[in-house]
Amino acid sequence: MLKFAVSGNTDVGIKKETNQDSLLLRKYSTCFGEVVFAVLCDGMGGLAKGEVASASLINAFRNWADENIMTSFTKDGGINYEEVQMKWMTLITSMNAKIKAYGRQNGVSLGTTVTAILISQKDYYIVNVGDTRAYIISDALYVLTEDQTLVEKEVREGKLTPEQAEKDPRRSVLLQCVGASENVYPDFFYGETMPDTVFMLCSDGFRHEVTAEEIFGAFNPSVLCDEQTMYSNATCLIEANKTRQERDNITVALIRSYQEG
Amino acid sequence: MLKIGSLIDGKYRVLSEIGHGGMSVVYMAINEKANKTWAIKEVRKDGIKDFEVVRQGLIVETEMLKRLSHPNLPSIVDVIESDDTFLIVMDYIEGNPLSQSLEEFGAQPQDYVIDWAKQLCDVLEYLHTRTPAIIYRDMKPANIMLKPDGNITLIDFGTAREFKEKNLADTTCLGTVGYAAPEQFGGMGQTDARTDIYCLGATLYHLVTGCNPCEPPYEILPIRSINPQLSSGLERIIIKCTQRNPDDRYQSCAELMYALDHYEEIDDKYRREQKKKLRIFLSSVIMMFAALIGAFISIGVNNKQIEKKYKELLSNGVRLSESYEYREENLISAIETNYNEAYDAIDNLLELYIGTGSDNLLSPQEFNNIKIIDSYIPSLKSNEEKARICYKIACNIFQYYSNDGKESNSIIGSDKARQWFKNSKDYAAKSNMSLLEEKGYSQKNIDILMNLGDFSEILENSKGLQEENERLDGEKNDKQNTIDTCWKYLSGGFLDDIKNPNVQPLYKRMICKYGSFMLYSNTVSMQKSLGENYSYEKVIMAYNEMINYLKSDDNEQAKNILESVKILKEQFEYANRESDA
Repeated sequence: MLKFAVSGNTDVGIKKETNQDSLLLRKYSTCFGEVVFAVLCDGMGGLAKGEVASASLINAFRNWADENIMTSFTKDGGINYEEVQMKWMTLITSMNAKIKAYGRQNGVSLGTTVTAILISQKDYYIVNVGDTRAYIISDALYVLTEDQTLVEKEVREGKLTPEQAEKDPRRSVLLQCVGASENVYPDFFYGETMPDTVFMLCSDGFRHEVTAEEIFGAFNPSVLCDEQTMYSNATCLIEANKTRQERDNITVALIRSYQEG
Repeated sequence: MLKIGSLIDGKYRVLSEIGHGGMSVVYMAINEKANKTWAIKEVRKDGIKDFEVVRQGLIVETEMLKRLSHPNLPSIVDVIESDDTFLIVMDYIEGNPLSQSLEEFGAQPQDYVIDWAKQLCDVLEYLHTRTPAIIYRDMKPANIMLKPDGNITLIDFGTAREFKEKNLADTTCLGTVGYAAPEQFGGMGQTDARTDIYCLGATLYHLVTGCNPCEPPYEILPIRSINPQLSSGLERIIIKCTQRNPDDRYQSCAELMYALDHYEEIDDKYRREQKKKLRIFLSSVIMMFAALIGAFISIGVNNKQIEKKYKELLSNGVRLSESYEYREENLISAIETNYNEAYDAIDNLLELYIGTGSDNLLSPQEFNNIKIIDSYIPSLKSNEEKARICYKIACNIFQYYSNDGKESNSIIGSDKARQWFKNSKDYAAKSNMSLLEEKGYSQKNIDILMNLGDFSEILENSKGLQEENERLDGEKNDKQNTIDTCWKYLSGGFLDDIKNPNVQPLYKRMICKYGSFMLYSNTVSMQKSLGENYSYEKVIMAYNEMINYLKSDDNEQAKNILESVKILKEQFEYANRESDA
């Protein structure tokens, strides 16, 4: 039976007045054992509206989880992908319409990215819109999601190298987001849950200034032995980001799996 | 917020709210004294962080806009400032934004889009040539009003430039920045007139294809990959407008306007027509030269020219990516060069004709075009090819009349195809037969199908003479007998005659010859009209009876007929299997 240790940190950063990132991190016990549900939204839009977008989407996901988490698994304790995908799709589509209507009414344009992960005893399932990311850290650092950004698209098409993309002025231009796009086309990812792995969700503010090596060094499963360490290591990296003049809000969530007993 | 029904500045009565911009609300108002409708844009104070800065910008901007006068721009007539609001009074534009047309009807007709493009280009040109130049930066269907008279007006122009300079260091989303040109994201040089040209190109793309470039696949594809009916000239224009590097785009609206005015000329079709005209002109020039100094020029040179022209046309005609019309035109032109080895062009034209449409058949128009080919066949070089081509055409014509439900009569088909079969036979007579048969030519088939043609002639001539149940009369001459029998076959019961020892062998042979064709050309409609009298087994039985009889007949003619009956039976069985499957 797998158990999970979780930790979430967020920081407004050094430049912005408001923190437009929103994070939901929950453990549920089911008849199959522990499951974890985490959602990270990075809101955008002038004034204080970005957090409206990210928070309302987080709320929608929380409501979904509270009502549906128990019916999201198959008989063997794995995730019912079809069911979950359909529900998430509906949720995102309807929130897109709601946020858009809110923006229209208030004469602002706002939106939010989302990366949500559901981790069961057997497997995990991710939905992603925008440039928030999910990683797995085991023997190395692996990105599970694919950024829906203009530069990432051009990297995939071979028009840019990943190095150029990091410096491209358009690096924070999303192809789509919830609340500002006509239609939203989320990506879904899935895989197996293994013991002694760390799942990490982070907003783009967390990953621009720190390197993959630093992340691996601070978050690899052999280092993260308890929730206290997880929290303090995350704080460390966030502070590192701030000293390196990261302007954005910074958020990171960690979920570590371990074998009970 | 303005109150509906309130009076502004002692003149304007606010009637209703008509729009909701990013930072502003637009109202419809009436000047009660002049009885004229205006739009009033209210810049909302509550939506703006530092209203004072914005207000200063607005004053400068509106002062500048007030001086603008262009048929595709709303004029600003008044600016009303008070402590807490900033109102811009401008023309009230009737109609709906193009984004609404897109939502309701999807892609817009190309002709309209080009007309709008010209108007937009004109207004951008006007803005760009002000001093200092005004860059619009926010071209999108939502900002283009389509008026009831079909003209357009560029709206949302009252907003100060400051608002449009988005802080792109923050995360943004494609849709919200419009069709932002690459340089609008910063870091790639200044925005200038060419930025507007990019956005105009993206707008045209969206309008003419119905595909939003801000949605997957997030790309501006060649418009004809979405709708092949669209103009290649417009395709070129849109591609050029939306180049990533501003230097690769049209450099000014005047340049773009020229392209739009002449889009048909950069269109493939137009280019083709021009080429054709040039061809006609050139060929007449060549002929003149040939007439003048023909004696001194070897014919080879001319032939080389023809060959070159032929090959060029052929290569156009075989391009699968091109439209049917384009290919047809090129292939026909290729044949018309009178090149003596134009086999590929003819074959490809036939393939094109047979391969299009749902039925794999020629259409009446195609049928007529094929007739034109006739006059070019004699000048072909190889007799084998001539025979093969005539045979192929004949078979297609036969098919045309045999397969189609309305003209379902292979007898007519064989009659129409007869001349081609005959030509084919004539050419075959001069050919190397074994070589020809490798190419799918079949003398046997020709004989059968030509006989069917003869039969149809007889039927044609006998109209009105026959009566269904007329009994055979030995005294009647052979021709009359044949006719009677033909009609008897139609009603199905003719096997008795073969078994009847009183019937002369000559007549029995005729029964077998034409009866077998008749059975073979039984179409579904004919079978239906025969009702219960018809069955597959009955037909096979009839063929077997005929074969049995012909085997017993020692006559030389009977042996030939036997061969053809056997083939027809096989084919009938095959065709029947086909229709079962």
